[in-house]
Amino acid sequence: MEASCLELALEGERLCKAGDCQAGVSFFEAAVQVGTEDLKTLSAIYSQLGNAYFYLHEYSKALEYHHHDLTLARTIGDQLGEAKASGNLGNTLKVLGRFDEAIVCCQRHLDISTEHCDKVIGEARALYNLGNVHHAKGKNLACAGTQDPGDFPEEVISALQKAAEYYEENLVIVKELRDRAAQGRAYGNLGNTHYLLGNFRKAVRSHQERLQIAREFGDKSAERRAYSNLGNASVFLGEFAVAADHYKRTLYLARQLRDRAVEAQACYSLGNTYTLLQDYEKAIEYHLKHLLIAQELTDRIGEGRACWSLGNAYTALGNHEQAVHFAEKHLEISKEVGDRSGELTARMNLSDLQMVLGLSYSTNSSILSVSQELDYNSQGARPRLGRRQSMEKMELMRLTPEKFQNWN
Amino acid sequence: MTGQRVSNAKSKVVPSKQILPSEEIEMEPETMETKSVTDYFSKLQMGSLGYACPNKQK
Repeated sequence: MEASCLELALEGERLCKAGDCQAGVSFFEAAVQVGTEDLKTLSAIYSQLGNAYFYLHEYSKALEYHHHDLTLARTIGDQLGEAKASGNLGNTLKVLGRFDEAIVCCQRHLDISTEHCDKVIGEARALYNLGNVHHAKGKNLACAGTQDPGDFPEEVISALQKAAEYYEENLVIVKELRDRAAQGRAYGNLGNTHYLLGNFRKAVRSHQERLQIAREFGDKSAERRAYSNLGNASVFLGEFAVAADHYKRTLYLARQLRDRAVEAQACYSLGNTYTLLQDYEKAIEYHLKHLLIAQELTDRIGEGRACWSLGNAYTALGNHEQAVHFAEKHLEISKEVGDRSGELTARMNLSDLQMVLGLSYSTNSSILSVSQELDYNSQGARPRLGRRQSMEKMELMRLTPEKFQNWN
Repeated sequence: MTGQRVSNAKSKVVPSKQILPSEEIEMEPETMETKSVTDYFSKLQMGSLGYACPNKQK
């Protein structure tokens, strides 16, 4: 009986290590069914079941098993086991959006690690997890609120600042340990935290460190992430040509990695960046590439965004017929996916375009630029044609005027 | 160009709820703590020294 439980668990471990968590779960579940009197073995099975479900994105199941593991570790007085279970439970609660409970668990992981022989490694890992929870909490509060980006309330800024502090503390330890992989992770997430806080220069420095470490390891996925994050920060620094270079590296690596979804995202970012560079032909080229992949992946939301962007770019070039075509497509998709905001935008764009097309026959002049100037001169009103030509990041720039003074 | 945008930014604050800056950032993976039945199995073989500090992971 004992041997059978152990054998099943060993097979579960082997399968999970080989990357087949689904099959691994079946063996671990079978091992639990058989049962064992060795509670540390049972604890290890619960922990691995929790992790397997976590990687399979079945978070309520992951929560259940990490909770069993925590209870068991406490029952048998296994403090290091309790620390690990607390950390895993914290990570799972974070993904489920239960941030305050996650913080309690990750803090427990940190406290036990600090007191025990696992001090250095366990402490560093707990600090990284705590950084992640505070980052997620801040991001969640920012997304849930009605405020504009860049104008985050105090609680969001406070959570993000705490995240940055935990990543910095983690970095001090993992640098001492010369653990480059851990440094890479911390730099990446620290960079993202600085980005959200509007510290774009610091974000760039962190992501450059992350890039260097990714290259040392030959980790193409991490390298691609770093380029993408560098591109985002460069856009907010107004360095659009630099951003385009970073996104081109992202695209190149996405193709190497054969990740079509990531390739689509890179094309979309490049389309937006060329819009900022006012090179609308190139913007259209990349938005069309994005559109093709979105269609291939049956990503209707992505397709809608591509159509909206293409409508804007064709409008900027004065090709109003193509602009109407894509605005109509944007309207159709917005209605289909129930995007009320997108639907309203598409309707306004179509209305504006119809007006422009009508008026241009009689004026035979650049009505578009005249209208735009008029709109931009009206204080407090949303630019009418300007809204079509604007893109997401340009909108953001108008939203975060105070940031411009602090970026450099 | 940047200068112009700075000027635009100061004069035209247009609210938009469509895009949040956090949508596009790419996070590093989580690190989960791992346990193994062989840790405890080894301990049974090795006596009390085996489980002083379980396996280190990256």
